[in-house]
Amino acid sequence: MRTRLNEHEPGEFRSRFKIIFAVVSVMLCLLVLRMWHLQVIRGDELRQRSENNSVRLRKIKPLRGLVLDTGGHVLVDNQPSFDVIFVPNRTKKIHDVAYKLKDLYEARSIPFSLDIPDPGKKRWFSPVKLEKNISMKKLAVVETHATDLPGVAVEVVPTRLYLHGAAMAHIIGYTGEISREELKKDVADKANVGDIVGKDGLEKFLDQYIKGKCGAEQVEVNVLGKEIKVIGKIDPVPGYNVVLTVDVHLQKIAWDAMKDKAGAVVVMDPRDGSILALVSSPSFNPNLFNGGISSEDWEKLSSDPSHPMENRAIAGQYPPGSTYKLIVAAAALEEGLITPETAFTCHGSFDLGNRTYRCWNKHGHGRISLHRAIVESCDVYFYNLGKLLGVDKIAYYAHQFGLGKRTGIDLSREKPGFVPTKTWKQTRFKEPWQMGETISISIGQGFNLVTPLQLVNVYATLANGGTLYRPRLVKRIESMDGQIIKTFEPEQVGTLSLSRKNIEILQHALWGVVNEPGGTGHALSRKEADVCGKTGTSQVIGLPDDESARRRIKISAKYRDHALFTCYAPYKNPEIAIAVIVEHSGSGGAVAAPIARKIIDAYFEYKRSVHNKQQETVTVKKAEDHARR
Amino acid sequence: MKFDRRLLINFDWMLLLLLLGLCVIGILNIYSAGYSLSDFKQETLYVKQAQWIMIGLVLMGITVCIDYHLICRYAYIIYAFSVLLLLLVALYGYTTHGSQRWIMIQGFSFQPSELVKLTTIIALAKYFDEHRIQKSYNLKELLIPFFIVFIPFSFILKQPDLGTALVLLIIFTSITFFVGVQWKSLVLAIVSVLIVTPFSWFFLKDYQRERIITFFNPESDPLGSGYHIIQSIIAVGSGGIIGKGYLKGTQTQLKFLPVQQTDFVFSVFAEEWGFMGALIVMVMFLALVLWCLKIALHSRDLLGMLISFGISMLIFWEVFINIGMVLGLLPVVGIPLPFLSYGGSSMIVLMVAMGFLMNISMRRFILHP
Repeated sequence: MRTRLNEHEPGEFRSRFKIIFAVVSVMLCLLVLRMWHLQVIRGDELRQRSENNSVRLRKIKPLRGLVLDTGGHVLVDNQPSFDVIFVPNRTKKIHDVAYKLKDLYEARSIPFSLDIPDPGKKRWFSPVKLEKNISMKKLAVVETHATDLPGVAVEVVPTRLYLHGAAMAHIIGYTGEISREELKKDVADKANVGDIVGKDGLEKFLDQYIKGKCGAEQVEVNVLGKEIKVIGKIDPVPGYNVVLTVDVHLQKIAWDAMKDKAGAVVVMDPRDGSILALVSSPSFNPNLFNGGISSEDWEKLSSDPSHPMENRAIAGQYPPGSTYKLIVAAAALEEGLITPETAFTCHGSFDLGNRTYRCWNKHGHGRISLHRAIVESCDVYFYNLGKLLGVDKIAYYAHQFGLGKRTGIDLSREKPGFVPTKTWKQTRFKEPWQMGETISISIGQGFNLVTPLQLVNVYATLANGGTLYRPRLVKRIESMDGQIIKTFEPEQVGTLSLSRKNIEILQHALWGVVNEPGGTGHALSRKEADVCGKTGTSQVIGLPDDESARRRIKISAKYRDHALFTCYAPYKNPEIAIAVIVEHSGSGGAVAAPIARKIIDAYFEYKRSVHNKQQETVTVKKAEDHARR
Repeated sequence: MKFDRRLLINFDWMLLLLLLGLCVIGILNIYSAGYSLSDFKQETLYVKQAQWIMIGLVLMGITVCIDYHLICRYAYIIYAFSVLLLLLVALYGYTTHGSQRWIMIQGFSFQPSELVKLTTIIALAKYFDEHRIQKSYNLKELLIPFFIVFIPFSFILKQPDLGTALVLLIIFTSITFFVGVQWKSLVLAIVSVLIVTPFSWFFLKDYQRERIITFFNPESDPLGSGYHIIQSIIAVGSGGIIGKGYLKGTQTQLKFLPVQQTDFVFSVFAEEWGFMGALIVMVMFLALVLWCLKIALHSRDLLGMLISFGISMLIFWEVFINIGMVLGLLPVVGIPLPFLSYGGSSMIVLMVAMGFLMNISMRRFILHP
């Protein structure tokens, strides 16, 4: 009986229990006495105090961090917005005040854009925002009639100012008040209703760095709810600034070139995966979202058939067209199926079983080897390669170039594109793969899809000699006083298994596309920089064999081909890679290449001007040194 | 195991009734505390609280069914597991309001420091049950129990959560007094504590020092905890004798009160129900603690007595410190009010603790082989 109490213990414990019963009762009675003191003796006095309680704790919203381009130009700033709020008090009802405000506006024929709250609503305790971002005229009215408007106050809150508007909307995104869903996801319980958070783009991606921390202020208010004085204050902490890899100069050139077209342009530094420009058109004005977008504007944006809110550069998935031939050529070379000298004959078409696959040049290219086949973009040559390779080999190399999965850029809602394989078709359609489908794939038509961002990454990878980088938009995060908080280094995510020699063969062929006679990208030929590139035209629908029927269909804009062009420069030691896609506009060489050309011209011109300036300063310095001596 | 009918006959309905009563008051009160906030997050807290109570009741039921002797066979393992959770908090826990107290388990956040209160009581009870002494313990014999408490104590202090750490220490002291300490040892302990205390000031976090300073002089920090104390006193006092009425407390509804669903939940109640309401709740708490002590007194062995005594003290001290804080008698240390404060971890652990008491109570006539 080990667990039983010792013989002498019960009595001893009993006496201890008596003491404890007494102590517990006395201590809790002490609390009751204190309650009696507060509630009964001092009750009236404290009730008075609670009725006159005029001290409020008010939040102060922080400034969000600035967004700067690679050269330190400000892209996103903050601006004050004047909001009219109603702070509830005991006597006045919100709808009385709202009607009074309405009368005041109407007397001065200022439009009144507020839904007057339902007086039947019970929750009249919490502060209500009556109007956002009011004009100076309204501000004057509200401030001069302060005594007639008990409980009404003007609050100054910082909102965003997007200096480049639509041109950068798809990179930077926009902000808005935190939504219910976002609040629910906030497990750490850090967010509050009314907080401003990034909703899209980098505003969302970098929210934790940009948003800063709320401050608070203890203010004394009078009976009318007007502030008398500030008793105590904790200053808000502004968010960190963000420095992007984007060059605002190139971004604007690219945007101007794309403005009235639908499509996307991505400019990348192939040496480290930095995005220099990223444009998706059509776009939207992110400033509309400041302090909450009006339902009218939102309706207009979301129902626009051209989808201005969609970032085509990362979420638009297109058949790659002839730009895909680079990958097919790389696969065939590296697998040893062909040498650069291997030639096929093109009569303008290619027969497989009972089907005929056409070359874009119906007269045929004659006997042609790899280099010229890329330069002239001969389809039949690549049909032959496709037949030799098979779909899975092509897919293997496409994956190496980063296709078929998200690149991991610092933006949400990126799409992965698609690289078809035999097993995929078997599981998806329960049908075996057809050789004919490989033939389509080998010229970039059919199931495969790429985003403009993936496309530029493919060519940047070839340009730098075979290193696949994660595209990055953010260079570093700094505090207000310029201290570096976090640096985003270039990230290698893969390397091509291509031999040095094969890479050089392909690079030379891409040089030929632009610089050799008969090349499809001849529009870009220029003296200062050796440009390498590849055109592409991706069919939106399968076209009928009959020539006149084809022409008829092509007239309708919806079915017109997408124009693609991708390039890099200079030929040796490339510094810039570009992909351009223009929707439903025709052939790549004619429509997309001139846009790329504008960007390349601007890039090298700008570089030269910076270089000259540096030279000048060096000469001046030398002259000064000389003079000093 | 054969079912013994005496278990059902001896079931402690009084205890169940008391704690359910407090839970219902708790839900109604949390509803009121979140009533005026247009913030839906707060509005639905009462629903969540009800869910926690449900989960707690189920766990309580399970605890009642298993003989506490069986559970206590694994007391040290359970204790070690809860300390391990504290270690995980220190390593991976996430931080809110400047202290790292929570861990995420399957999307739920959990506060292991709440669990540790109970497991430490059980571990202490087992230790004292196994190491009995004729008269009273001396310091050397108390060394191991001291470490049982000190390990979780230091983890919790590090988080930092001064309130919970203190509760742990006070429970240890209560149990030690209960089992008996030699006078000589007691004097020695008090003297050494008096020597150490001034030094511990340097180990406190800035915000903890601030709180102690503001307790003695609330006006020195009208924006921080001083503000809390002042507003809480106004709220309680303005309730008067009969209160301002349910959902009509101006201090509460106009959000003058800080953390009104958790630590200051009692001032919401006192404002809206007045002295009469607050008195009823106090009587319920007194009845609960005395009832728990009665269970301890009548338990049939030392193990049961020590566990139920420890749990009684846990509830008593939490009630005393929390309400003392709300009434401006004690510094603001952040301890929840049992059954009334919003909080899943605390509620579930309390329910399991109540399960232990019922367990001990209904087995008081059954001899353990």
